[in-house]
Amino acid sequence: MKAPRKTRGMASFAIFLFALVSVLVLVANFKLNFAVSSTSDAYDSFSSQLVEKNGIAQLVKESVLAVGETAISTSSGTLQSEIQARLSSIQFPSDVTISLDPGTPVPPVPANPFFPSAAPAAASQPAYFTPAGGVRALAGMGNLLSSLCLLGPVADLGRLTVVFDRSTSVSASDNRTYTVNADLFSVPLTNVDVVAYGLPVTGSVPGAAPAVPQGFFAPDVSCLTVTSNNPSSDPTAFGDLFASSGTEQLPYQYRNAVSFCWNAYEYLWSPAYQNALLGTALLGGAVYNFSSPPDQDVPGVTVSGTSATVDCSAVVGSVVAIVDPDGTGSVTVVGSPSPGAPFVLVVRNTAGQRTPVTFTGDNARPAIFYLENAGVTFAGNPQIQGALFLDPNTTASGSVTWFGHFSFYGPTSPLGTLGITVADSPAVKASLAPLAPRVLLVSTSATR
Amino acid sequence: MKPVSPGRLARSRGGQSGFSVVEGIGGLVVFALLMGALTYGMGSLFSEQAQPQVAFGQQAYARAPSFDNFRDAVDLHAAFSNAVDQADSVIVLGGARSHPTLDPNGPSSALSASFEDCVLTAAAAGGGLRAYSSWDQRQLNFSQFSAYFTASPDPADFTILTVQGLSRITSITQQRRHRAVVNGQDLALYEVTYQPVDWSSGMPSLPTNASTGTRPAYSYRVYYAAAEDVWSLPPGATHYWYRADTAWTRDHEGPSRVVFADPYALAGQDGSSPVSPMSRFIYFLAQQR
Repeated sequence: MKAPRKTRGMASFAIFLFALVSVLVLVANFKLNFAVSSTSDAYDSFSSQLVEKNGIAQLVKESVLAVGETAISTSSGTLQSEIQARLSSIQFPSDVTISLDPGTPVPPVPANPFFPSAAPAAASQPAYFTPAGGVRALAGMGNLLSSLCLLGPVADLGRLTVVFDRSTSVSASDNRTYTVNADLFSVPLTNVDVVAYGLPVTGSVPGAAPAVPQGFFAPDVSCLTVTSNNPSSDPTAFGDLFASSGTEQLPYQYRNAVSFCWNAYEYLWSPAYQNALLGTALLGGAVYNFSSPPDQDVPGVTVSGTSATVDCSAVVGSVVAIVDPDGTGSVTVVGSPSPGAPFVLVVRNTAGQRTPVTFTGDNARPAIFYLENAGVTFAGNPQIQGALFLDPNTTASGSVTWFGHFSFYGPTSPLGTLGITVADSPAVKASLAPLAPRVLLVSTSATR
Repeated sequence: MKPVSPGRLARSRGGQSGFSVVEGIGGLVVFALLMGALTYGMGSLFSEQAQPQVAFGQQAYARAPSFDNFRDAVDLHAAFSNAVDQADSVIVLGGARSHPTLDPNGPSSALSASFEDCVLTAAAAGGGLRAYSSWDQRQLNFSQFSAYFTASPDPADFTILTVQGLSRITSITQQRRHRAVVNGQDLALYEVTYQPVDWSSGMPSLPTNASTGTRPAYSYRVYYAAAEDVWSLPPGATHYWYRADTAWTRDHEGPSRVVFADPYALAGQDGSSPVSPMSRFIYFLAQQR
């Protein structure tokens, strides 16, 4: 039987209401899900661009270091070409393009001059939150940089700004300009009190940190070494993040430490740097060569047969060198009881037996001692101010209290035979800063 | 002649037709039944959107998934990400493996919610080379932190401090998981707060929430039924280590994995399901920047 028209009208009205409410609920739910999706996408874009810009910042840092790092070899290219080369090797999402902003020229990397090739930039003790002596405040540049910069006087080489354009074909609203600021500092190698270095190119790097006596490092003594992250090589390492397959790769956290502990020492012991020191000494008539003695006396150096004595109080000029090419000579270094201008002493033996080098007497005149293929002995437990650089072939014995810097080849530590106590000395660091080799440290940050 | 009711007479006079009283009442009953069925059906269908709230510790917690809290979470994590990006170092307290040998399993103590210090006093004149892990920072600042260390910490709890220099705290981020029975329900309640420290004037100040005027400036709070609080990557912090070398002062901590509660994620790990519940707010936070 057909329902009366009035009943059909009532049912239709109810169904209409039901459908209306259903549609409203479904629309509301769709909008909610759409809002969640949109918000998630926006947050994901934000997060990925944060990672992206920091990757670009790291790229700029590596490009700066490629050009200007204190290392055995650096690129002859420009900063722009180094950035371009790295940028082209990075694979971005297919819709994303990142390029150098054509309207903003890429600045050159400033020189990081240091003794003896050029006069170094003036150095001052930096601070975290206030500029000090021409060095900008370090806060915000990262603890990986500031932890090394704050150990002594550094020179501020300024800020480089590089601008990148990011464009995406998906959404014009995600086009960005990444501005990368690179802050450069010239840090004397002697600022770190103790370094067990490695030579990744010409030698090897320490698998594990050299053993030291209990309490060897006083609380205020800074020390640095970079070793393997493989627990089987370094018992202090853990396998948490170690990839056991393939060639070991150090985490990027160690980049600045590698500049200090590995690359700078490759340069320091390279013929280029050692010859530059000898060349400077030669210009000042301050080289004594056992194989071909000079016609004139070298100020501060007295010779008797195959024995040379360097009186630290009598050295004139900034560098004096004793060359023992055949390993036939011996050297005695007599400390200066009174302070004086800092100087560099190079003892170079490139062949034959180690040249015996004996330190005697306290030394209050800061000096940098580069000892190459030497057998070092400390007589009478002297107290010496300065920086002691031992090359990989140098051995050491005796006892000494050292105020300043001490570095040695990590794989062949002399600490088994040498009783050395190292004391941090800000005054010695400041004295040596004009003569010390310097490391270029870079901090980059990016804004989007 | 059959009498005609006045109403019908009126309608016939005007040529109109309509419902009788009985029909009207019947219509209302049918309508009420339909609306009741609709409400029940929609309520069942979209029960996850129902947003029931519970009160715990004088705070309101929304049942997850909660869009309002998700929106708050996005605001919080955007601010947190920027703070991390600009920090010189990040300290993560709490979670597992805070030290690989001295505290390999955890959970270690976080700082209580009342911690609002703006300066790490012990580190102000410290050496950066000696502060290469959150464990170092825990030891270095022990006298300052000890009053705030939480007792019986939950594995999901952590405190994250972003620091500039060695001393200036630029933000304090907290996550807490509370277990409670509320209205007969066994619940896991997650509370995430973020409090920036403004140093722009040279002196620290603690901004308040823009809408409520209270601290912390950012927060979100959600809860799950305790039985559903099962994740493929559980909320909380896990510390990873490169090395711990006391002789050469090389307590080198790697990045910590930090998993925040996600207000718009459904928990409840089902081993047979190909879908894994996971937060979208996961970070690998390097201690040193």
